[in-house]
Amino acid sequence: MLNKSYKVAIIYFLLFSLLLLASGALIFANKIGFSYTSLLHYYLGDIKNFSSAKSFIGISKIILPHIFAFGIFTMVLLHFLIFTKKRATKELKIIIYLSFTSAFLEIFTAFLISEGYSFFIYLKLFSFFIFYCFILYIIFILFKSIIYDK
Amino acid sequence: MRFTLIKNVKRDKAMKPILNALLLFILLYIPFDIFVKSHTIGISTVTLISTLYGNADEFIDPINQSVFLEFIHMQIFFLMMILLTLSAIYIRLLSHKSNTLLAINLLMGFAFVTPLTLFLSYFYTNEFVKIYLFSFFAWHLIALFITLRSLWELNFVK
Repeated sequence: MLNKSYKVAIIYFLLFSLLLLASGALIFANKIGFSYTSLLHYYLGDIKNFSSAKSFIGISKIILPHIFAFGIFTMVLLHFLIFTKKRATKELKIIIYLSFTSAFLEIFTAFLISEGYSFFIYLKLFSFFIFYCFILYIIFILFKSIIYDK
Repeated sequence: MRFTLIKNVKRDKAMKPILNALLLFILLYIPFDIFVKSHTIGISTVTLISTLYGNADEFIDPINQSVFLEFIHMQIFFLMMILLTLSAIYIRLLSHKSNTLLAINLLMGFAFVTPLTLFLSYFYTNEFVKIYLFSFFAWHLIALFITLRSLWELNFVK
């Protein structure tokens, strides 16, 4: 009963994680957009749309809750992997390092873009997709492990 | 420092007050969440509909799309963290009871439906508003029951 109850709670947590990812992607698409120019306009401003460039403080206010949320969300998801067959594998180490690194880059490249280093737009987009891929992969492993592993 | 596993949290001198305090905070969060929602998006069909779609008679604009998405995004994050914590405590204390699994399923199920139906209410049809409100109150009531039941088990059951 104890194991089954924990499994049910984790399944719901994974479903909530999917909702969180979906709403995050929707906000990104709605507020910023996934193209190079839309990111450039969002951070550096656009005269045609009367939008101003994002300031250091403005970006800090947005990323502050995300630093904590990305960290705790990734940690909680990753720590469930300890209870799967992936425990103590090289793959788990790679997943851990890459998911945290992509989360870090996704958050902090905003500062570099706002300073005019437009190349980092590609890095932000790339890290966003990599982070999402890793989180989805972790969720997949956990679902598979709960359903199939005894 | 030595790390040990705690077999019985009810008898542990440190874990018992820690869990009590955490449950107390969750107990405070539940009514405050209802109170804050009642003053922001509304907790009745009329107030919620005027928040989502606006009300020309009362000069209320509909909620901005990006504000709405941010609100839902934040709600999902808080929901998942609070409910995972609460269910972990409940399972630890009452795993031997037959209705534990049912309570967890009901709590998580209604909570999962809440942001989903609010999203559908905003983007598709206002018919989901009633389902949203039902699931909103349902998960709060079940969370209240689970919190009180955990507190009872932790303090009064030997």
